[in-house]
Amino acid sequence: MNNNKYKILLVEDEANILTFVGDLLESNEYQVIKAESCTEAETLYASYLPDLVILDLGLPDRDGTEFLRGLRQRGELAPVLVLSARSDEAEKVRALDLGANDYITKPFGSAELLARIRSSLRFMRHSADAGKLPGGIFQIGDLSIHYDARRIYVGSEEIKLTQTEYNIVVFLSEHSGKVMTYSSIIKAVWREPTNENSIKKLQVNMANIRKKFGVKPGEFSYIVNELGVGYRMDG
Amino acid sequence: MKKLCKNAAIMVGVVLLTYALGFLLRDVFDVWEHITTAFVFAVFLVALLTDGYVWGILSTFSAVLLINYAFTYPYFDVNFSATESLFSAAVMMVIALLTSGITTQLKRWKTLKAEGEMERMRANLLRAVSHDLRTPLTTIYGASSSILENYDKLTDTQKTRMIGGIQEDADWLIRMVENLLSITRIDSGNVKLIKTPIVLDELIDAVLLKFKKRYPAQTVTLDLPDTVIVIPMDALLIEQVIVNMLENVMHHAKDFTTLTLRVKMQDGWAVFEIEDDGCGIAKERMEHLFTGFNAAAADKADVHKRNAGIGLSVCATIIKAHGGTVCAENRKTGGALFRFKLETDEAENHE
Repeated sequence: MNNNKYKILLVEDEANILTFVGDLLESNEYQVIKAESCTEAETLYASYLPDLVILDLGLPDRDGTEFLRGLRQRGELAPVLVLSARSDEAEKVRALDLGANDYITKPFGSAELLARIRSSLRFMRHSADAGKLPGGIFQIGDLSIHYDARRIYVGSEEIKLTQTEYNIVVFLSEHSGKVMTYSSIIKAVWREPTNENSIKKLQVNMANIRKKFGVKPGEFSYIVNELGVGYRMDG
Repeated sequence: MKKLCKNAAIMVGVVLLTYALGFLLRDVFDVWEHITTAFVFAVFLVALLTDGYVWGILSTFSAVLLINYAFTYPYFDVNFSATESLFSAAVMMVIALLTSGITTQLKRWKTLKAEGEMERMRANLLRAVSHDLRTPLTTIYGASSSILENYDKLTDTQKTRMIGGIQEDADWLIRMVENLLSITRIDSGNVKLIKTPIVLDELIDAVLLKFKKRYPAQTVTLDLPDTVIVIPMDALLIEQVIVNMLENVMHHAKDFTTLTLRVKMQDGWAVFEIEDDGCGIAKERMEHLFTGFNAAAADKADVHKRNAGIGLSVCATIIKAHGGTVCAENRKTGGALFRFKLETDEAENHE
């Protein structure tokens, strides 16, 4: 039984938050491992190899981003969901560029947290299934991307995109569930440095993509925009 | 750099115009004696319209040279033998220095006044907010301790109702703290906002997602331009402004049926309008709408009514810090309209 459960490493030094998030996760059939400092998190990660890490950035011994950096340097791919107290774009972008998959701003509701966890775990499964292998088809909801044919469908209707627009969508799909910062997308699609001009180019392309998908502001769409940070493909 | 060009243009323009006027006075109207007066006036104008002392002094020198060159004997030659030209030069110099001094001080006084106003606004807000924080805390503390200490005595319905109350008031606290954070983000007037270019559609998308989470049943009618519009802004703050204005409608507009969010372009400015067809804004509220909290309302017991006054003051503070304007009016057809303007990238390119 225990083997079928996803293991989640919860790193947080506030006792009350640790308790309530821990209880919430356990009641939703996740196995929870709790850590209250960077050092403890590193030890527990090595011995349990969790499927997902929920990481608070303000830890007593060291900044949470250091744990994150170490993890990615060792090539560990477990998704990391950052709990951020400050609604500060710069901090979010830094954590994302260091390899975090997503962030959630405190205070958050239980539904929101569970949704983000599910989405991050799905991302991990998707990477494991290697949807981008030759002949692979990427699918979330009604959206499907046929990588070989370079075609994109919503339901049975094909969406005609330009070369660049297609590249952006594919890049996001390859990292679905993960927030991709402006600079990471620009680097992957244009191989250019990030500046005001290249961000504007990306934003204009995204506006056209949204138009072609026929989504209106405030409606659910496959590509979620994280204002001032980046974009995320989500099912 | 821009400022330098502007000041130089003002100086050169005024001096050249006066130079032309000098010929007009001499050759057409034949009134020699007023040419120097015209130049004195020119120096005064330059000192008044430019920043700092340099331009006034420069214009004095050019005025003296031009008068000497064109309007005193020997004509079209620079010759400082006449003492009267030295006298008028001294007069012009004094005028330039005095005027520049006065304008510089006036400008400094204006910024001080604006900062003072900002400061007063923040103080008002803080007072209102800290007063308001106590009510939801009473519910949260009281209800949670009641449940913990009387767990077995309370029925499930009672417990659920109390927990619901805790959640509702915590939610209110979250919004209040968001508003407070916005104010501190603007900070004490010295720190400039960090503006990044934001696409209008993405902004509206983020706003509506947030709004729908709180009011799932309410539809917002959108009226947006078709083109891609980029506005430099602190996105979190502007998002807060629009959410606050939409929530203000939810709290205060009675019996409205439609809620519209419209954005249109006007001479390089993006004009945001939030309108409803409800009861409109009462006259006595109109005056205090954006200027901090309404003292009369603060004495009433209804907490949730008060929070909106704070929300709108936050809006005004944020928009002011962005260099935009904000206003509210009652629509002729009934209901209220809130409008604010932000400068777009286009406007900057036009300059």
